[in-house]
Amino acid sequence: MDMSNHPLLALATDEPPPFPASYPQLQRLDRSIVCPICKEPFSAPVSIACGHSFCSHCIRGSMEVTKKCPVCHESVSEGSIRRNRALEEITDAWDEARPSLIKLSQPPAGPSRKRPPPQPISNDSSLNSLPHLKRRRDSGSRSQSPTKLSTNNHNEAVEFFGSSEEEETSPRENDTEELTEHDEGTCPICSAKMPIVSIPMHIERGCPPIKAAKKVNGSGNQKADWKKVFAGAGKGREKDVEMKRIVKPNYHLSSEKDLRNILSEHGLVTTGDKETLSARVQQWIILFNANLDTSHPKSLSALRAQLTEAEASRKRDKERGKEELGKELETKEGMAKYAKERRGEFERLRKEIMERDKRRAGAAVDTPIEVD
Amino acid sequence: MSTAAKRRLIRDFKRLASDPPIGISGSPNPDNIMIWNAVIFGPPDTPFEDGSFRLTLTFTDAYPNKPPTVRFVSKMFHPNIYNNGELCLDILQNRWSPTYDVAAVLTSVQSLLNDPNPSR
Repeated sequence: MDMSNHPLLALATDEPPPFPASYPQLQRLDRSIVCPICKEPFSAPVSIACGHSFCSHCIRGSMEVTKKCPVCHESVSEGSIRRNRALEEITDAWDEARPSLIKLSQPPAGPSRKRPPPQPISNDSSLNSLPHLKRRRDSGSRSQSPTKLSTNNHNEAVEFFGSSEEEETSPRENDTEELTEHDEGTCPICSAKMPIVSIPMHIERGCPPIKAAKKVNGSGNQKADWKKVFAGAGKGREKDVEMKRIVKPNYHLSSEKDLRNILSEHGLVTTGDKETLSARVQQWIILFNANLDTSHPKSLSALRAQLTEAEASRKRDKERGKEELGKELETKEGMAKYAKERRGEFERLRKEIMERDKRRAGAAVDTPIEVD
Repeated sequence: MSTAAKRRLIRDFKRLASDPPIGISGSPNPDNIMIWNAVIFGPPDTPFEDGSFRLTLTFTDAYPNKPPTVRFVSKMFHPNIYNNGELCLDILQNRWSPTYDVAAVLTSVQSLLNDPNPSR
């Protein structure tokens, strides 16, 4: 298609590759962690009164314009915004699992043709393995060391492949073997090893870690957990005061001086007229408050840089007269001029639809009459 | 390319290019992503069938929280399309939602040709 070499499309390359059409379940999973406003995977997800979820930044920005749910149009207030921790965990876990699932979803290449095509069976096995992934990731994040996490990732991918292959090659053998109650089995929830008899009780108790494992993993986690408790009572408090949500000022009533005070309090530029100032305050409050809704917040200096960059980009566009082109289209003469200049562009778009329709219908289609 | 609006517009463009609705195409100006050109084919079984109609979409930095301005470049005879090409469509005014993207806007405009609303 002609459009594929449009210069602006090249900018969209940061998007990860999609799942093949033969995996609609994975495509659906992929779609379900996308914010309905920015259409990107949730970042700092929150839920509002009606139960719909968005990125914190997106819904806060939307509520500056209208206090309605973007999905169901129900009236909502900003006070109903609640951090959705489970959704954040799911989004993070999915983001981490995605590359290995993409690999698994590709059709096997070359010599391994004897294997059945990766249709339902292997697909189920990959989905079944998801809890494993998540659990391991959990234990990694609890130890709160980013380096450990990343090494875990690496192992994960390897193990992941190993286990799926095993399942594909030898499921029958396992079935025919007689298992006794005292043989070792794997808990279907936490995948810990233990005698098969004790698995039901183990699940009933909510999967406590087994003693052998506790010595290595458990004590370390306990220490970390206690640390968290004490940190919450001591240092954490102080930090909370500093990281409290900013209460929105009334932009109509506050003077330029009030706005400047807010800006300088947060270490931001205080230049510009009232309109610029209130726009800056507004953007900053959205950025700042949204940053409190995530477990991996950005530093304040990164937030400031983001705000400055957005403002600079708007200013550049203004200086280059890009807004004027938009204004030009409001007049009849401007529109006529524009249409004349971009005639070729519209013609290209028209041809594109016709080519597409031809491919869709497989037969010749009437040429639409062009209307001037 | 740094503001949220531009990021979102690039995403919209990618979606429109990879999964275009029937009889619709559109792309931003290479030098200005805030102004798009689009072509819509008239829906079948309407007076607009077999016609191709040109439009422009003008976005602001507030997109997607605020709707784009959509104008027909082609001269239209339709109760909801004014002489200057601007159109009266609820989802582009009071029923706008930031969940809509360019593909959704163009599809709605196409279906407006299908069922005109003279009472508006």
